[in-house]
Amino acid sequence: MTMLRYVIRDTWRLIVHHWVLGLLTLITAGVMLWILGVTTLLSLNLENLLSRLESELAVQAYLVKDNTLDVEAIARKIQSLEYVYSIKTFSPSESLAKLQQKMGSQSRALEMLGDNPIPWNFEIHVNSAQDVEPLVEALKAMPEVEDVVYAGLVVRRISALSRISSRIALVMFILAVVITALVVYNTIHISLYSRREEIGIMYLVGATRAYIATPFVLEGTMLAFFGALIAGAGIIGAYFPGIELIRENLPLLTNIIITDRAVIWRFCGLLAGFGATLGWVCSYLVVARFINSITRPE
Amino acid sequence: MNVQFSGVSKIFEPDIAALVDINLSIEQGEFVYVIGQTGSGKSTLLRLITREILPSRGVVAVGGYDLKRMRKADIPYYRRDVGLVAQDFKLIPTLTVYENIAFVMEAMSVPKRLVAERAKDVINQVGLWRRRSMRPAQLSGGEQQRVAIARALANSPSLFIADEPTGNLDFHTAADVMKILFAINAAGVTVVMSTHNQGIVNASRQRVIELEGGKLVRDEKGGLYSE
Repeated sequence: MTMLRYVIRDTWRLIVHHWVLGLLTLITAGVMLWILGVTTLLSLNLENLLSRLESELAVQAYLVKDNTLDVEAIARKIQSLEYVYSIKTFSPSESLAKLQQKMGSQSRALEMLGDNPIPWNFEIHVNSAQDVEPLVEALKAMPEVEDVVYAGLVVRRISALSRISSRIALVMFILAVVITALVVYNTIHISLYSRREEIGIMYLVGATRAYIATPFVLEGTMLAFFGALIAGAGIIGAYFPGIELIRENLPLLTNIIITDRAVIWRFCGLLAGFGATLGWVCSYLVVARFINSITRPE
Repeated sequence: MNVQFSGVSKIFEPDIAALVDINLSIEQGEFVYVIGQTGSGKSTLLRLITREILPSRGVVAVGGYDLKRMRKADIPYYRRDVGLVAQDFKLIPTLTVYENIAFVMEAMSVPKRLVAERAKDVINQVGLWRRRSMRPAQLSGGEQQRVAIARALANSPSLFIADEPTGNLDFHTAADVMKILFAINAAGVTVVMSTHNQGIVNASRQRVIELEGGKLVRDEKGGLYSE
């Protein structure tokens, strides 16, 4: 109880004593963690969009016109390829009906073709966009397959976008963590330095290292935690109105982006936890190093 | 608590011999003056006892423990049993008289009620109860010295180290401080005090250890400042 009282009192003293520095740390941590949160959310939304697009990516494989072909065996052969998520078989008549439905009033033009020109074909879905190209290569190598139709450019763009988004998110994550960590480290170091004489006296009269260190570690943890709370408030303040704006103007997108408020609240909770952990680790490192250096006997 | 120096030398970088081959033994309950000129090694000897510095050679043992081999985690507990009064007082400037004294007990997780009782007791012992809410900078040198003594007494130490506690004080204040130290010693606490004050040493005729150029040149029971 005495220890707890001392820790709270001294942490408060430290924060009040260096309030300008503390405020700057709080703002920097808040801004950096906000950037981290926003980048992560954008990246998550982009991943969501990409995975939705990927799941809708289909490769159409048309077989050669040959009545002796064992369509079921070919379907099984394609299904066994590692890139294939699902395969659907369409007979020539089913394909023609689908085409007629798509063309609507212009479907009469198809009657001019005489016999149904569409062969047996498969609609193949892949696990991810990166799987499309190797699948197409594998299909083209099969003698039973006459033609393969797929959105090649879209696939390449999606794959590239996915890679870029992951890299940007990683860079932003590292940047935000490093800057926040450095700011917290520096603030706590200044706090320690301004009280170095006091720390020496405390140690000399019998205070344990943990007793000396705890208020400083708590200061760093609290600054980063409150910075993360500010960041969380900023994210909620920007994201929820953003969703409403999208809902009004681009309703189609609401199926793709994360709109569940509970998910965003949980995300902000995680961000606060991450901020506190980061603050704790940084301040623990600087305090341990500093106390070691000034209490080491000559 | 007894203190044992066996073949102790302390050499500071690059090659300054502050103490050379010191052998001495201080028994529980003794009152010992450490005298010598400035730079003779008095403070180094006391700092070895408080484990602020470690010997370059030899063994310093206090209460049977070799200080050089002491585990890091045990140092605070050892220091709680050693009351220290430094020449420069070493008071925490941001804390009041009361807080400076209460702090050492809080560090030991003593309950608040007991902290208050003991702090009042030791502040009264040094006659500063009316100054308890003041910060060190608002006190005179003598008063700061008495706060340092009160703080050293707070944990009821078995060994009391005082590095020139009367160095900056006038005759009357120095006499008051010495009265407190004799009272502490009368309660069975070992007191080791370095001083330049000839009058104090000659008046009380206690054991005198004299250092010169880092060497022990005299160890005399009931001795005077000069032979």
